Formats: sequence, structure tokens, C-alpha cells
Amino acid sequence: MNLRPDAKAAGTALCIGGLALLMQPGALAWALREQPAWPLDTMALALGIELISLAFWCWARASADAEHQLRRWIWLRRPAQATWLAAAAGLLIPWTSLYAAAAQWLPVVAAAAIVWAGLELMAALPLARPYSDLSGPLLVMRPWLPALLPAAGFVVLWHSGELWTEVAGVREIAAALLLVTALLATLRAFGRRQWATALRWLIVSESAIAATLIATASLEPTIVLLLWLGSVGGRAFMLAGELRGATPRRGATLSRLWRVAGWAGSAALSWPLLTALMARVESTSFTSMSVAALITVLLIAFEFIAAALAVILTTYVSVRRVVPAAERRRVMRPDPALTLSHLSAFLTLSIGPGALAIAFLGGARFPWTPALIASLPAVVGGSLGLLGRKSRAPLVAGFESAGSRTRRVARFAFRSITDLERIGVGMLQRTGRAVLAPLRDLHTGDAQEYVLFVVGLSVLALVLPFLR
Amino acid sequence: MSAIPAELWQWLIPALAVLAAALRLIVDRGGGASEFTLGPIVVVLPLAVAIALPHPGAAATLLIAGLVVAILARDHGDLLQSECALKLAWVLGGSLALSIAGSELLAMVTGTRLNAEQWAVLGAPIGPDDLWRVALPLSLLAGLVLLGGAPFHFWPADLFQGGRSWAAPLAAAALQVSGASWLARRLSGIESLPEARAVTSNLLAAVSGIAFLVGAATLLQQRRPERRIGTLASLHGALAIAMLLAGNGPGSEQWFARWSAHLAIGLTGAGLFARFLPVTSDVDPANRRGSVLFRRHPFSAIAGLLATLSLAGVPGTPGAAIWLEAARALAASRHSTLLALLGLAWLASFATVMRQWREAAGIPVRAPEGVPDPGVPGAARAALWVGAAGVILLGASWLVS
Repeated sequence: MNLRPDAKAAGTALCIGGLALLMQPGALAWALREQPAWPLDTMALALGIELISLAFWCWARASADAEHQLRRWIWLRRPAQATWLAAAAGLLIPWTSLYAAAAQWLPVVAAAAIVWAGLELMAALPLARPYSDLSGPLLVMRPWLPALLPAAGFVVLWHSGELWTEVAGVREIAAALLLVTALLATLRAFGRRQWATALRWLIVSESAIAATLIATASLEPTIVLLLWLGSVGGRAFMLAGELRGATPRRGATLSRLWRVAGWAGSAALSWPLLTALMARVESTSFTSMSVAALITVLLIAFEFIAAALAVILTTYVSVRRVVPAAERRRVMRPDPALTLSHLSAFLTLSIGPGALAIAFLGGARFPWTPALIASLPAVVGGSLGLLGRKSRAPLVAGFESAGSRTRRVARFAFRSITDLERIGVGMLQRTGRAVLAPLRDLHTGDAQEYVLFVVGLSVLALVLPFLR
Repeated sequence: MSAIPAELWQWLIPALAVLAAALRLIVDRGGGASEFTLGPIVVVLPLAVAIALPHPGAAATLLIAGLVVAILARDHGDLLQSECALKLAWVLGGSLALSIAGSELLAMVTGTRLNAEQWAVLGAPIGPDDLWRVALPLSLLAGLVLLGGAPFHFWPADLFQGGRSWAAPLAAAALQVSGASWLARRLSGIESLPEARAVTSNLLAAVSGIAFLVGAATLLQQRRPERRIGTLASLHGALAIAMLLAGNGPGSEQWFARWSAHLAIGLTGAGLFARFLPVTSDVDPANRRGSVLFRRHPFSAIAGLLATLSLAGVPGTPGAAIWLEAARALAASRHSTLLALLGLAWLASFATVMRQWREAAGIPVRAPEGVPDPGVPGAARAALWVGAAGVILLGASWLVS
């Protein structure tokens, strides 16, 4: 009897277990209900990410190009490690003396660690930014698997929202990094011709926008989750559909429906974020001439522009790129009038606006002027997308030729930024290795050096008290 | 399980470690049927007793150090063992000599050898205090060296790489437990003399801080699995120093009992396991296949892995409780910098162990036709299972209590 588990099955079981823990971290608290003082939710998140990392490792080592795949996905241990650190810090906080310095920095460490995990999974840190360009390690789901990771990152940040949004410094840095990521990811989605790859990058971008929405605390977490589901859920379904013969793009009606659904999901998600970013600018900032006020306004303007550009590009790609898949069959199969694709598109179309309606019914209010301005990027992006599709419009010829040029610019911008990041990270790694190299060399000496070392320390022990 | 008294656990765990060592010895001896095959195990029995005893005295420490050096020096033909014996003889001999000199100096200054009386005499302002301020740190040196925290972290790694795998884990654990006892004995009652407490607190804080920092950095740099286990042992030495600094009361006593039992069984399991792991190498394509243990006996590999994970304090293992209790003691006693350094060391241990076993598992590639792929001997696998059983029993008993 062979008891060795098949790598594919083991990976799948681990991945399902990890995702289940990420979706429902309370399960661990239920299983260990005798330990109420422990940060069990964070521990469950850490275990969940660890299991997903293990699943990728199982699949990678069993794949045909195992060496490449192992190297490609080895970084997944870092987010797991960071979440374990957050859990450990959470365990220690109740035990820390109120007067100890640790009482100040342990909550910051917990927040920073959990944000690290979330950001890295969402490609928001320079260490593993381009992973969405690459396919996953499991053959049957290769193009789809990397889409799991930004979703996991968002879920981590969503579940631990209270932990990291309460630490102002961590929250601000996370929001800035997320907005940069949203912009970079949309640039990449815009620059790539392959629809499946573009979809993966759109998932990264929209997860980053949703996570920034958590940081602004302008909406209830449940509403944010619904908005995220409305946008990213649709993209994930489309990506899965691409693997099954591009079913969401079969036929003009279905394509049109998905175009509207994608646009609506993206618009519903981004609108409250842009409104919240604008609403942060206080009117006194313009009357006061202080440098601090000016810097604040400039930072908010930068964030708003980054988010707005990301939204324009996302909505443009959502509308422009969904083209009906060419029918290659000679004899058409009788398809039902209402398919799963229709239902999913309808759900995607309704969840986002529905969530906003629930928010308004629940008492959420936004000032009029920012709300109106915030709706513009999605409208502009969608309109440009539509314009690109109307091939008879007089404006279109110039627009089409500009389109290929701007794609090249987007590709160049993304590559330049990621290359710069890679150079920076590489320099840091090399410096670290150079600094730590003597530690390895220390062990190559012979016994005389060790005894000299002990004698030296003893002399120091003799001299130190006199220096006091 | 709760019905088993704590004293029995104290003896049971070292006994399991000896059993694992005996099984490994059978493999080392080629599995011969001679009645003397298990003879050498007699020499590790005193080491197991030293681990099981609550507080081995100074004489016991000297005996253990001598015995370990003798075990290593016995095989003249083995250069690694001989070199290791030489290093240990010089380093332990030197540090013990200096510490005994420091203790004698303290006895000379105070006119007594009893700790309580020494603190009382030193508390009276009757003379210059320079002499005891020098003598006190000197008297602690042997304990610090025996615990193996950096900058004395080279000897556990040397011992695991150079020594026999049946003797090295118990030898390292016995020396470290003796080191902790040496320090605890020397520091007992020091609370009654705040000046002395301040001197030793500063010294212990500096030493454990350096031990955590250098240990973590060393662990990330090392490539040999045996040396990594040695450095993990040295980090456990740093944990003991931190606990001596921050812990107090019966909780601290219980922690030391658990620490020594865990160290014995953890090092035994991990030390044996490390012998079957490949050396990390970025260029050697042979490592792609992973170790024979993972390839041929994955369940035994997981059993061996358990002890290693526990040593590194991976959550869910008994070792995690050891690390966590030490961190809590530091947090409660306001040693924030040390707490941060302990966190760093824990992260390094955790990351290294996870990387180590993934490297060991490698890529499942079939051996080329005609190339023999021998498995791991049954006795060695049994030793790994004994180590794992010890770790599980330890964890279960702590959970119940």
C-alpha cells in the first residue's frame, strides 16, 4: 500500500485548508476555545498563509520545471513568517509591563508585520512585485493560481483591520504603498496584450484599492468586503472562464454584459476611495500658508492622482479589452439562454452598486463636491474604452494609434520602476551578505584562536569594572 | 498523563535520549552482533544523569566537561573529533580555571564560600569594592561559556559537526545544563546586594543580547545542517541567560526544568536528523534530489523534523512554549531591547528550519538506472521516532499540566 500522498492532491488539500482558515479564522478560536487571551485570529491567518505557501511548494517541486517554480514561489514563506511575528507580538502585548518600551513598540511591530504580509501578497512590496506576470506551479490551473495571492493579501488585511489601522504611521505607509501598487498594476494590465495576464494584474490593482479603502475607514468593513467581492470576484470568474474556452466572452451580448459588469464593479469600488481621499483635504489647508499644510495637500494630491489614474486605466481596460471570442466551430452547439456566465456577470454588476446602496441606507454620507469629482475617473476611463471600440468615430483613428504608443510607455514605466526596485533590493542583499560574511569565516580558525578569545574576554571582564 | 509525577518526566526524557543514542550507536557500529556493540553507551549515561539532576554541582560540571573531552579524544584517527576535543579542552578548561579563580577571589575578599554570607559581607561598606566587582564577572565566565551563547557559540556547532551523532547531542545538552546550574548557583541570593545584582544584570543582559544577535546572524549564514543545530543549541543557551536575568520565582524553576528536558530530547532528535540532511549549496546540482531520508522514508523524516522544529520554537511545538515563556519574562521585566533581539533570533531560527527541511525534501527526481539508492538504516529511523516521541510526550505533559 502506498501511503505517500500525491503532490498535486496534497497541494490542493493544503491550499483549500489555507484558504478556509483565511476566510474563517474564527475556526481556530472555536477549536482552541480554552485560550481566549491568545490572538487566535492572527494565528489562524498565519497558519492559513503557511498552508498556502506549503501548497505552492508541493505543486512547484512536482512540476516539470521544478527548479524554476521552486525559486519563483519561495518568497511565499515571507508573508507567513511576518504573520507569525504579528501573532507572537500579539501574544506578548498583554504580558508587557506598562512602563516598558516594549509596550510602545509591540503594537507597532504587530501592525507592521501583518501589513507586511498583506502587502507582499498583494505585490505591494518591491521584493516579489512582478509575480502576477508569471503562471502558477500547478499545470491545470497555472494562469489562475497567482490570482489567489492578492485575494489572500486583501483578506489578511481585511480580517486584521483593527490591528493595523489603529497605528497611524503603519496605516499611512500602507495606504501610500497600496496606491502606488494600484497604479503600477493597472499600468501593467494596460501594457500587457494577454487578457489572462491583464486580468491577474487587475485583481492586484483592485485588491490594493480595496485595502486602501480599509485604511481610510470611510466605510464599514463588511461594505468594503462586498465592494471587493463585486470587483475582484468578477475578474476571478473571468480568469477561470478564460481557462475554459473564454466562456465569458462567447457572444456579443455576454461580452457586453461583462464589459458593463467589470466597469460597474470597478467604479463602485473606487468611488468611495476617491471621495474619501478628497474629503481628507481640509479647507483650512488652502488658507494656511504653513509648510506642513502644503506638504499634506501635496501628499493627498499625489495619492488622489495615483488612485484616479489607476481607476481610469482599470475601467478603460475593463471596457476596451473584453472582445467577443471568435467562434471557431462550424456547427454551433445549442447553448442555454441563461448560462453561469450570465448569472456571474449579473451578480458582479449588482454586488458593487448594491453594497453602496446598503452603505447609504446604513447612514454613510459623503460631501457632494468630492463625490462628484470622484466619479469622474471611472466615467472618463469607461468613455475612453467605449470610444476605442467605436471604430467609425472620427476621433478613433488617432486614439487607436496613440493606444499602442501608450501601451509601450506603460510597459516601459512598469519595467523601469521594477528594475529600479530590484537593483535597490539587490544592493541591500549584497551589503547584508558582505557584512555577515565574517561570521562564516569566524568558524574556520583553529583552536588557538578560541582560547585567545576567551583570554581576551576575561581581560575585558577585568578591565571593564575599573572603567566604571 | 497528569498522574505521572514531574520527577519521572525529568528522568524519562533523558532516558529516551539515551535510547535514541543507543539506536544510533548500533548504526555507527555497523549493526554487528557483538555484545560490546552498545558498550560505549555507558559513557553517555553520566551525561543523562547530569541532565536529569535538578542542580549538578561544580564538581559534577568539571567531571562532565572532562568526560565529554575524553569521549571526543578517544578516537585518534578521526581528525574532526580530535580537533573538537582540543578546542573544548582549551576553551572549557580555560574558562573553568578563570571562573574558579574568580570564585576563590570572592572567597578571599569575603572570608567565606557561602553565597548568602558573601553578599552580606560585601554589603557592609568596609573596604574598596573593586576586587569583588572583578571577581564576580570572572566567576560567571564558565557558566556563560558552557551555555554556548555567542561569542562562545562555536563549540556547540563544532561538537555537532565533529562529534559522533550518538554522543554529541547529550554532551551538548549536559554541558549547557551544567552551565545554567553554574550561573544559577553563583547568582542565588544576589537580590540582597543591589550593587552586585546591577553588575551581573548588566553583564547577563549584554551577553544574552550579543548571543541572540550573533546567533541569529550566524544561523542565517550557516550551510551545514549539523552546525545549524549547534547554533540553535547556542540560542537556547541565550534563552537560559535571558531567563536567569528576567525570570524569578517558581515559574522560573519550572522553566529551567522544562528547558533542560526539552534541550536533551530536542538536540538528540535534531542532531540525528541533521546527519541525514544535505549541505546547503547554491551550485551543487546533486542537492536537487533531496536527502535519502525524505526520498525513501518521508514519515521518519517528518518524525526527525519535529525535534528540529521544536528547537527553533515553531508555533505548536513544545519548544515554542520555551521561547514564549522567556519572551514573556523579558516583557514583564522591562527588558525591551533583549525582547526585540530574542524576537530576531526566533525569526531567524524559524526561517532557517523551514528552509532547511524544504531543501532536504528537494525535488522528487528518480535515481538514474543502475545507480543504487540505499535507504537509511532501520535503527537510525527508530532513533528519529524515539526523539519525536520524546518531544510529543513532553508537549503533551505540559499541555495537561
